[in-house]
Amino acid sequence: MSKQKSAPKKPLRHSLPGFGLTLGYSLVYLSLIVLVPFSALFVKTASGGWGHFWETITAPRVVVSYGVSFGLSFFAALVNGVFGFIGAWVLVRYRFPGRRILDAMVDLPFALPTAVAGIALTAIYAPNDWIGGLLKPVGIKVAFTQLGIFVALTFIGLPFVVRTLQPVIQNLSDDVEEAAACLGAGRWQTFRRVIFPALLPSTLTGVTLAYGRAVGEYGSVVFIAGNLPFKTEITPLLIISKLEQYDYSGAAALGFVMLVVSFFVLLASNALQAWDNKRKGML
Amino acid sequence: MAGASQFPIPQRPDTGRRATAESPVAKVLLVGITLVFFSLFLLLPLFVVFQEAFSKGLGVFLKTFRDPYAQDAIRLTLLVAAITVPLNTVFGLAAAWSLTRFRFSGRSFLITLIDLPLWVSPVIGGLIYILVFGSKGWLGAWLSDHGIRIIFAVPGIVLATVFVTFPFVARGLIPLMQAQGISEEEAALTLGANGWQIFWRVTVPKIKWGLLYGVILCNARAMGEFGAVSVVSGHIRGKTNTMPLHIEILYNEYHFAAAFAVASLLALLALVTLFLKTYSEWRAAEQLKQL
Amino acid sequence: MSIRIHHVTKRYSRYPALNDVSVEIETGELIALLGPSGSGKTTLLRVIAGLEFPESQGTVLFQERDVTRLSAYKRKAGFVFQAYALFAHMNVFENIAFALRVLPRKKRPPESTIRARVRELLAAVQLDGLEKRLPTQLSGGQRQRVAFARALAIEPEVLLLDEPFGALDAKVRKDLRRWLREFHERIRLTTIFVTHDQDEAFEVADRAVIIDKGVIQQSGTPEEVRNNPANEFVRDFLDL
Repeated sequence: MSKQKSAPKKPLRHSLPGFGLTLGYSLVYLSLIVLVPFSALFVKTASGGWGHFWETITAPRVVVSYGVSFGLSFFAALVNGVFGFIGAWVLVRYRFPGRRILDAMVDLPFALPTAVAGIALTAIYAPNDWIGGLLKPVGIKVAFTQLGIFVALTFIGLPFVVRTLQPVIQNLSDDVEEAAACLGAGRWQTFRRVIFPALLPSTLTGVTLAYGRAVGEYGSVVFIAGNLPFKTEITPLLIISKLEQYDYSGAAALGFVMLVVSFFVLLASNALQAWDNKRKGML
Repeated sequence: MAGASQFPIPQRPDTGRRATAESPVAKVLLVGITLVFFSLFLLLPLFVVFQEAFSKGLGVFLKTFRDPYAQDAIRLTLLVAAITVPLNTVFGLAAAWSLTRFRFSGRSFLITLIDLPLWVSPVIGGLIYILVFGSKGWLGAWLSDHGIRIIFAVPGIVLATVFVTFPFVARGLIPLMQAQGISEEEAALTLGANGWQIFWRVTVPKIKWGLLYGVILCNARAMGEFGAVSVVSGHIRGKTNTMPLHIEILYNEYHFAAAFAVASLLALLALVTLFLKTYSEWRAAEQLKQL
Repeated sequence: MSIRIHHVTKRYSRYPALNDVSVEIETGELIALLGPSGSGKTTLLRVIAGLEFPESQGTVLFQERDVTRLSAYKRKAGFVFQAYALFAHMNVFENIAFALRVLPRKKRPPESTIRARVRELLAAVQLDGLEKRLPTQLSGGQRQRVAFARALAIEPEVLLLDEPFGALDAKVRKDLRRWLREFHERIRLTTIFVTHDQDEAFEVADRAVIIDKGVIQQSGTPEEVRNNPANEFVRDFLDL
């Protein structure tokens, strides 16, 4: 029996039970694992003082590492954009033996531990054998150079473009392509004017995601890089070396820089999604 | 990977009919490019791992695992995964339930927050815990006064691993539970079921494939995590080395075949992960199609 | 069981889905909530069921008992959802038995009683023999009736149907309408169903409550409403 209430209670919001319990648990968990430790990062960065912060993040060796981490990731993401696009198209539209297996393998860089990828890539591109051995007579060095880092970052970003594009390509309706054909457009024209513009936002999203992942990558890169100061050091490596020297505020400062870059990448990806949704709404 | 849909959305059936298609030459060219690129970047590294692992023969391969440090590393990796995966599974279920069954302000912020570890470098995932628990960190002095070791000890490794892997179960469940809608749960409510009954009898059977998918990925990442663990571990042989860290040590000491031998175990795990992931993805999509 | 709704308001955004709605339903009546889409009729049904809760002032009374803040699982209001919401992973038998299986241990009947009760309910909706089938193996009309039987398993004092015939072909719709009317004659359970189809409302129900934009426009028997439409909207909506 329900009791008579003297004053009207605040309206119950949720019919299904468990809101308080599940949300509460999730928030506590997130606070402990994420929010509190990240606030330590911000506090530590600020506590060093502005001068020290600026000095740290603009030190010459660090700036070179920015070029390596952020710059090479950019080129790797572009390469993934091109080949990932082609790969996604081929996997969705064509049938050939081994397609299913290849499709499953696209996720390998995501499932394979980064250290395993790191040593494998180094073995492949070191001058002794495999591809490194093939390129040695031609004078091209891959391992322990920026080219090697570039290769590793391409490996890491491969699934992102492919997986972002596949559902979009699958959802392209036939009729728009057929309409273009009926209007006299050749296949390449149809692709250039009709298909590619429809796929552009998703491609850019995939490239952005690949970039975001590559920028922070450590394990796959640190073996093949050689870690030569001023040449092949990535920013995450510098964070680690600062920690080893107990320079906590220096490490935090660099961590902060990486967070800012990640934040902008996240914003870019959300903006691209919003653009894509808006366009789809108009179609 | 905010933006990539986690499951193949049920599509129109592929009638295989394409009134407009590329010329056969173009098709062959594109397929060729794809095969070359993917083989180079995906298949070759995998092949190399196994080839190098056995390059000095089966004997050396097996000897690697008789090394007590290797065995400690394997044990530690399994222990860390055994703690991390259940913790993150409970979180994933709670988060997915609260985010997909109710409307409240701040929902999208929370969903973005859950994706955070996927956006930041794993090194940062280790850095933040050093800043809290390290000897010069917030709790550093208090911890050493009480003789508790978190950094350079197993608890630190567990924390860092929990951080980098907590999105996976949630991300496997959220799109699935959103697509499934709450009608069945509401129906169960009108039939007199309480919260736990609804969860176990109605929700869990519906989400089991999405749950498996998330758990598989969480486990794979937990066992393979390198960057974040490397920062907090201290690399103490026999005590705080996981398998990936042990691989690093072997490699830096030029025991290449041994390093690849341990790596081949993890590569095998990756292949099993890929297989189970594909399978559970497919089952989940099939289930959605029936709605 | 009578149902009284007093001054219920429900807001999702700035505009209220239900705006100061009051309705009185007598025991044993078969009522249609009739209105265009977005009128608030489903919201009202869900408020009665306990799947939504009104803003602070409104009350919902079941036979003079205040159930406004009572969760759905305590209200004993049988609800049939628009898309049936059958448990896809359970067969017909388990779907119908669900309500009995989740009863608290003390009240839970033995397995043999459950079996008998489910068979009874299957017979009542004329679906004998289909116990082992899965929902995907049933036609739309059959799923509809399983949803019915499932809701009846809680021995409800009121039956709430959300667009029960919406997703079905014309012929099946006609048969089910007739079936619902006969069922109601037999059992005399207070029943409320939501529809946007006026033919359906007037053919099946004792009384229609016409609602638009969260406000009750008129309430009465088919003759009353047709002969004396209360305002412009009713005249327009019923094509008079």
